[in-house]
Amino acid sequence: MASLGSALLLATFVVCSYAAVASVAGARRRSRRLVESGIGAFYLIAALMAAGSAVMINAFLTNDYSIKYVAHYSDSVQPLFYKITSYWGGLDGSIMFWVFLLSIFGSTAVYVNRERHRELIPYVIATISVVQMFFLYLMIVHKNPFTTYLRAAPAEGEGLNPLLQNVYMAIHPPSLYTGFVGMTIPFAFGIAALITGHLDDSWLRAVRRWTMFSWLFLSFGLTLGMIWAYEELGWGGYWAWDPVENAGLLPWFTATAFLHSVMVQERRSMLRVWNVTLVIVTFFLTIFGTFMTRSGVVQSVHAFGDDPILAKLFTGFMIAILVFSFSLVIWRLPLLKARNELDSWLSREAAFMVNNWILLFAALFVLFGTMFPTLSEAVTGERLTVAGAFFNKWMAPVGLVLLLLTGTGPLLAWRRSSLRNLADSFVWPVAAGVAAGAGALAFRIPIWPSGLCFALCGFVVGTVVQEFWRGARVRRKNTGTDLLTALVGLVGRNKRRYGGYIVHVGIVLIFFGFAGNAKKLDEQVLLRVGQEAKIGRYTIRNNGIKVSDDGQKQMTTAYLAVFADGKEIDGLYPARWAYRRHEQEPTTEVAIRRTPAEDLYAVLGGFDLADQSATLQLVVNPLVNWIWVGFGVMAIGTGIALLPERSFAFALAKMPAEAVTTTVALLLLLLVAGARPASAQPGMGGSEDTRSSYYARTPFEKQMQHEIVCTCGACGHQTLAECRKDNCSTSHQMRGELAAMIDQGKNHDEIIQSFLAKYGTEEMLGAPVDKGFNRMAWLFPYLIGATSAIAVGFVAVKWTRRHEPDAAAAAPLDQAIDERIDDELRDLD
Amino acid sequence: MAHRYIKITLTASVLVLAFTGMLWSTLREGTEYYKNVDEVLPQAQQWTGKQMQLHGYVVPKSIKRRRDASGNITLDYIFKVQNNPARASDPGNVVDASYNGIVPDTFKDEAEVVLKGKLTPDGFKTDPNGVMAKCPSKYEAAEKSALAGT
Repeated sequence: MASLGSALLLATFVVCSYAAVASVAGARRRSRRLVESGIGAFYLIAALMAAGSAVMINAFLTNDYSIKYVAHYSDSVQPLFYKITSYWGGLDGSIMFWVFLLSIFGSTAVYVNRERHRELIPYVIATISVVQMFFLYLMIVHKNPFTTYLRAAPAEGEGLNPLLQNVYMAIHPPSLYTGFVGMTIPFAFGIAALITGHLDDSWLRAVRRWTMFSWLFLSFGLTLGMIWAYEELGWGGYWAWDPVENAGLLPWFTATAFLHSVMVQERRSMLRVWNVTLVIVTFFLTIFGTFMTRSGVVQSVHAFGDDPILAKLFTGFMIAILVFSFSLVIWRLPLLKARNELDSWLSREAAFMVNNWILLFAALFVLFGTMFPTLSEAVTGERLTVAGAFFNKWMAPVGLVLLLLTGTGPLLAWRRSSLRNLADSFVWPVAAGVAAGAGALAFRIPIWPSGLCFALCGFVVGTVVQEFWRGARVRRKNTGTDLLTALVGLVGRNKRRYGGYIVHVGIVLIFFGFAGNAKKLDEQVLLRVGQEAKIGRYTIRNNGIKVSDDGQKQMTTAYLAVFADGKEIDGLYPARWAYRRHEQEPTTEVAIRRTPAEDLYAVLGGFDLADQSATLQLVVNPLVNWIWVGFGVMAIGTGIALLPERSFAFALAKMPAEAVTTTVALLLLLLVAGARPASAQPGMGGSEDTRSSYYARTPFEKQMQHEIVCTCGACGHQTLAECRKDNCSTSHQMRGELAAMIDQGKNHDEIIQSFLAKYGTEEMLGAPVDKGFNRMAWLFPYLIGATSAIAVGFVAVKWTRRHEPDAAAAAPLDQAIDERIDDELRDLD
Repeated sequence: MAHRYIKITLTASVLVLAFTGMLWSTLREGTEYYKNVDEVLPQAQQWTGKQMQLHGYVVPKSIKRRRDASGNITLDYIFKVQNNPARASDPGNVVDASYNGIVPDTFKDEAEVVLKGKLTPDGFKTDPNGVMAKCPSKYEAAEKSALAGT
């Protein structure tokens, strides 16, 4: 299998070079056939990489430890899910995964644009192929993931690091890679536009969505990384300005800048050089980030592998990118001349320009801080480092200015704002900001930087609400529907703009969460059994330490009672888990009591079983959950902005007015209903020892615990293995029965039968018995999914299709209204 | 036109100057030296009191925790740090170090550590949360977590 994998990589390299050469040659000789063959070869790359990935995943699933990479990053007891995610768990595999993603994205982009941007496609293919060739070359000569042991292969793998056996860590890297890799597509189109000289705005239209899509995944990846650091690493924070984190942040800044400046070019034909530059810089930073984290140039708490060969290869590639891209830009400067000049500093384009400068400054600054130790060593011979406080000091004002611009930009008109309309549009947002600031002062929050941050949050929310309100009011007047329908119609007609505003709300929530840091409390205490410690409004009591074992790991758990205002309000159970074969690296299991206002966060730093004493880090993190909520809002906004142009608008036009109101009301009801079970959980009764009861002693018992569901009715049908986390006496009892039956030597079916007999229904089975009619239950969700997908597709196609005869009759009226609305909306701009 | 360029140049130079000035002033308090034990100890006098990150290895069996008056264990740690890895034939210079707080899981005998803090006449005094430790034996595992963090 390993040789098949290596052969596939080699074949991909060859096909890549063919795709690059054939498409460029085809374009220069104007040979359609040659270009077509280049496109074909380009699709073939995706197929080959998919096959290579299949070989790799197959090796993980079949525990093929003759391949070094598989032996390093998995073992036979690892759950199926983590065996698959081990594919990108290490350096070699992550590079391969990178190429795989790039081939898929590249093929999609070429397929979608092959007619509309025919003249660009050959060079797009060539650019992406060359990038792929670089990474394939890395793999083939230096880091082949299919390298095998020349002598005896180990019988068992080393296993994935326990810290990474975590759902966030499984999704975080692919999400971040998707963001990184996706940025190659805009770069390829930019280069193609430069080479061909087709430098009008058409290439921007082709890449706008790709940039938004990659930006969304980049944000998602960064957020997941923060959540992982917060919940898994256990130091009480989520961002430490570590080089690895900064590497992901750099392209995020420049991509954000690009998403804004692209609007200036579309609207005013300005900033054309700037936009091309931003695309190049963003791509460069994705490569630079990869280089920084993989080659050992930067020292980090995350121990990096030193890899001088990799560093040299990457350096060469990066220099090549910069020299090639910027030579093209300089060569094409005459074509890139702006058609307009800035009319006034009180205009939206000026606000966008300032926003861009600041984002770029942020990127450069973070880059400078990250590379500072390396730079200082190179210049002075002394290795100096900068601490997180240094970043915070600089980035706090930068962030606040950006937040201010988020609120200001939409209020300014394009070209020039008159003083009168300034006063008109600023009154309410400023009032909202002042109110929020006053509220913050009332809570005794220091003005700098948190109080100011709260005020600006209020200002931006004021702006967004006002924009929605004004737009909806105009639309209601024009279409004569109710306000809600008008609102949905407004968003549907101008998805990018209003989607963008929703993203801004998400940003505000994230800043709101950051501002909570001002009131963060952090204490380290040593508590003997029965002792108490105070933090904020909470009192924590150590009720003792227990050790349990579930076969895969040994768990040491501290039982803490939480008091507030003299009443016991909750329990916290921070733990340390020592996995088999990783006993030297125990993982810290943080206990978090989440509320919208603040998190109470406890880490078990150390313990002494003899006197039941626990060393604890206690943290109160105000408002931290709003960061995650903010990302959710941002994702929704980006999703709206990404929706296809036509179908949605048509669908909206056909929808009766009341339908929207009803749908939104129903959705809200569903949301409220869906949120309820989560808050019902803490009500469960039972004693503390139920939590540590009956850990599975054998794999069989573990399997059974996963098949049977707790019937307490309060946990939302968790399995017996899961319900343990909550204080539930029913699951305790059921686990006891199960253990007794296993001790009696009953087999799987007998146990299921007796549980069925006792609890009556099949409700207690984690999954329906897989036979007869019950199979329908397995099929059902898929059936529903498939049917609705087909239905939605059908309706969308139907709505999007133009009915020629109908159109003739309806067109004049529709068009008149459309034009009027457009005019009104333009006035609002 | 000349007038315009003068304006742009002036604005740009004022901005650059202001920026450099701010950077300079914050860098002076924001930076720390990153030093190995061997670089610091021979000139202990010169380095005393300066904020730095000290790189070294924990001397085997040197980690001790202080007990309070009633004999209960506390969060006060004292330990020794040497310049070279524990298995090297020559340990290099050795410095006493102290710390109060929770240590990371990886802080143990032979661990490669970076301590943030100041050198005092009584040894190296580590700041709160100033202990960073790399795992001694599991280099691969450490590398993995670094990658996944990308």
